[in-house]
Amino acid sequence: MNPDTFVLLVRMAFRNLFAARLKTLIVGSIVFAGAFLVVLGLSLLESVNDGMSRSIVDSLAGHIQVHAAASKDKLEIFGGMGGFPDLAPIPRFPLVRDRLLTLPNVKAVVPMGINGAVATSGNVVDNALEKLRDSVRRAGKRPTKALRAEIGARKALVRRMVELLEQDLLSAASISSEKAENAVTIANVHRAAQPAYWARFDDDPLASLEYLENKVAPAAAEADMLFVSYIGTDLDAFRKSFDRLEITDGTFVPPGKRGFLFAKFNYEEMFKVKIARRLDRIKEAKEIGGRTIARDPELKRWAGENVAQTHEILYQLDQLGAEAVERALQRDLKLPGLKLDALLAKLLDINDTNFAERYRLFYADVAPSIDLYKVRIGDDLTIKAVTRSGYPQSVVVKVYGAFQFRGLEKSALAGSMCLIDLVSFNELSGFPTTESTAEIAGMRKAAGAKAVSRETAEADLFGGGTTTVQTGHTGDVRIPDRLSGASSRRAGSAFTPADLDRASVLNAAVILKDPRRMSRTMREIEALSKKEGLGLKVISWQTAAGLLGQLVLLMRLVLFVAVGIIFLVALVVLSNAFVMATLERVRDIGTLRAVGARRGFIFAMIVVEAAVVGIIFGGAGAVAGGAVVELIGWIGIPAKSDVMFFFFSGPRLKPFLRISSVVIAAILVLIVNALSAGYPAWLAARITPRQAMATDE
Amino acid sequence: MRLVAALLACLAATPAIPAGAPITKEAMVAMLKTLDERQRNQGDWKALIYMEQKERDKADVAYECLVFRRDKDEKFMILFTKPKAESGKGYLRMDKNLWMYDPTVGKWERRTERERIGGTDSRREDLDESRLAVEYEPADKGEEKLGVFTVRHLALTAKPGIDVAYPVIELWIDVASGNTLKRQDFALSGRLMRTAYYPKWQKIFSESKGSDVWYPMEMRFYDEVDKANSTILLMKAVDLKPLEANIFTKAWLESKSR
Repeated sequence: MNPDTFVLLVRMAFRNLFAARLKTLIVGSIVFAGAFLVVLGLSLLESVNDGMSRSIVDSLAGHIQVHAAASKDKLEIFGGMGGFPDLAPIPRFPLVRDRLLTLPNVKAVVPMGINGAVATSGNVVDNALEKLRDSVRRAGKRPTKALRAEIGARKALVRRMVELLEQDLLSAASISSEKAENAVTIANVHRAAQPAYWARFDDDPLASLEYLENKVAPAAAEADMLFVSYIGTDLDAFRKSFDRLEITDGTFVPPGKRGFLFAKFNYEEMFKVKIARRLDRIKEAKEIGGRTIARDPELKRWAGENVAQTHEILYQLDQLGAEAVERALQRDLKLPGLKLDALLAKLLDINDTNFAERYRLFYADVAPSIDLYKVRIGDDLTIKAVTRSGYPQSVVVKVYGAFQFRGLEKSALAGSMCLIDLVSFNELSGFPTTESTAEIAGMRKAAGAKAVSRETAEADLFGGGTTTVQTGHTGDVRIPDRLSGASSRRAGSAFTPADLDRASVLNAAVILKDPRRMSRTMREIEALSKKEGLGLKVISWQTAAGLLGQLVLLMRLVLFVAVGIIFLVALVVLSNAFVMATLERVRDIGTLRAVGARRGFIFAMIVVEAAVVGIIFGGAGAVAGGAVVELIGWIGIPAKSDVMFFFFSGPRLKPFLRISSVVIAAILVLIVNALSAGYPAWLAARITPRQAMATDE
Repeated sequence: MRLVAALLACLAATPAIPAGAPITKEAMVAMLKTLDERQRNQGDWKALIYMEQKERDKADVAYECLVFRRDKDEKFMILFTKPKAESGKGYLRMDKNLWMYDPTVGKWERRTERERIGGTDSRREDLDESRLAVEYEPADKGEEKLGVFTVRHLALTAKPGIDVAYPVIELWIDVASGNTLKRQDFALSGRLMRTAYYPKWQKIFSESKGSDVWYPMEMRFYDEVDKANSTILLMKAVDLKPLEANIFTKAWLESKSR
């Protein structure tokens, strides 16, 4: 086709389209909407994908994860339906790390292990008794003045708890049907609440403690178990590789030291006194979310729970503390003569008018007298991890601080994992060492217990003998004076680089220099592992994130299905419209044919008309879509929930326009238009002058 | 006292089970009382035991520990002595509380009756004084063969308000010796949780009781939930000499590893 013919065709297309303005507008609107939706949808999707990938990659996963191919479970970095994955340690991790670092695109390899554990257990009385026992134990026979004071304060707290417990039990007993059992419990607690009990406490403090631990503490409310999920890692390497990490409280764990860092989000949500946390959340909801206690059922519920649960505060205050808080609240609430429990209920009885003042009073009058957090920064934290067989392993580690990932402060998912040093993680996981394996082999050999399979057990054990009874003599079982084996995993103790290298590593994050070359680097790692027998399974961050990582794929699928349906409908409507337009123009086309226009010219004329519609309206749709993306990008979509923070990788999603989205929209529009114009163009090309003349007006 | 001891000895020595026909509830309770009575010592009890646990996809685990009992006060304690990493850990039962002590962190923690001792398939009650007649109601399931042994099969249901590791158990009791040879433990839902075999029993004379004390020298537990898991428990030695008065205390257990 020569340029003149093309120009003629374009001019004719404009003339025809302009002549049938209404039809052109209808058809064009469909094309406009399709292009608009493709550009907007793809841009939003790409932005969410980008945000989520940053959330996962920058907070926990790195770009690629490797773990032992021999593992029973697949790695899911946020835990799966059945809890945390059961992974086998990576064999010879230091060698694996060194070999991976030889690959050109690998920037860092961070060793890891993921698990969950109980951070505190026991009810509030148990925990207070544990502290008192610790003081008594440290005091020995010649306590220092400071220890005597510490014991005195802790005794005072326990004594007040026992008194409160007795009151609670008496109230509960009045409405309970289990009178007999309650009577025994109340009698036990009553005894411990008497001044005489405390007057004799120091005669035999350990015996007194055992009475409280066994007869009194079980009567208190059920334990509030606090679970923490954590990543065991080389903390220095982690900090260097995940540079969005920032310390919010305390300090980072010093190099070579055992230590624990709380994820700030988890720390606030789980470890802060519930009343204080609810007040914080109400404040946040009012200030940021614009919510009100009067209208928002959730805020109303939190306020109600605070009034009902003042014992959380009362159990923390010893006699002196209780008196101080009582005096302060009487003064500030202007309610002289009211008792502390009633004052606390009054303080926490909030509404939209008094909230700001009550919030201030809580932090001024109550908070200084209590521990706002169940574990404080700087405390030693006992972590009890339960192995898969149900046997607990414990370590004590110092809590050095709390951290968050910049931009992900409000994300529950990015803020769900705490950090612990790899050596302590290994002890919690109970991984066998070379020495322990040899020791157990020696014990098994000495015991000489014969293995019997369950299938043949009855035949093997009861198939031959006639008697199972022997007569023996009392043995001489000696009790060792002291067991020297129990190694002390005390807080703050150090480890050497060699300890770190010997530690078992369950998975490792691979940080890339150029993330765009992730697929290629994954193939390189797989090839290296195969060649050198490293036994690695290599997965992308999407796979490591489990269901979360698949969400973007799902969202993309939903978008493509929606776009597909829109364009299918458009295809039918456009094709129909073009056929109708062709049939209305049979005489014109016949005339053109009569004056010498070839079939190819007629075919091209219809196709060019469709193309012009596509280019003008599709282009306008793409531009409008792009403009809306830019506008939203300028304003930002606010994250209104914890999950949205994670998906948006920050407080707002700022979508950006990608050329690829525009190109995809253009290609789709042109394809749909070409397909929809094909049939009417073919019909038009077959029209002869004779047919046209035979057609009625 | 001598008369009581003689009566107890008679009770323990009596072949408890009449052959063949169904038995009355009283007879079943008498069988359980015989089992309990034989294993009870009037004084103290100290045993050296060995436990070996096999678990799916895990290295085998073994422990040596000392088990202490003072049956008259229902006191019970376990002190782990081997391997090195576990030595000093222990369990202490006081009243209805089962405490676990970990010297590596110096903390006590209250555990439940369902605690797997050392993560094995054994429970506290496998090592403690037998209290079958006190804790369970029996029902007869007839006479059966277990290998070459003729056994009485009983189904036991926990009495209301009693905290036991398993609410339903079944026992296969050797008709000739009156000892349990096989036991199966069930959850309340009826799901089989564990099968145990007691192929070897030993009796030793107790000065304090004035008669024999019986105990299973070997126990084999097969986990019925995860079929790859099993535990062997060997009672290597039993010492019936009196224990120190203050041994069943937290302070004593702590002192072993401090």
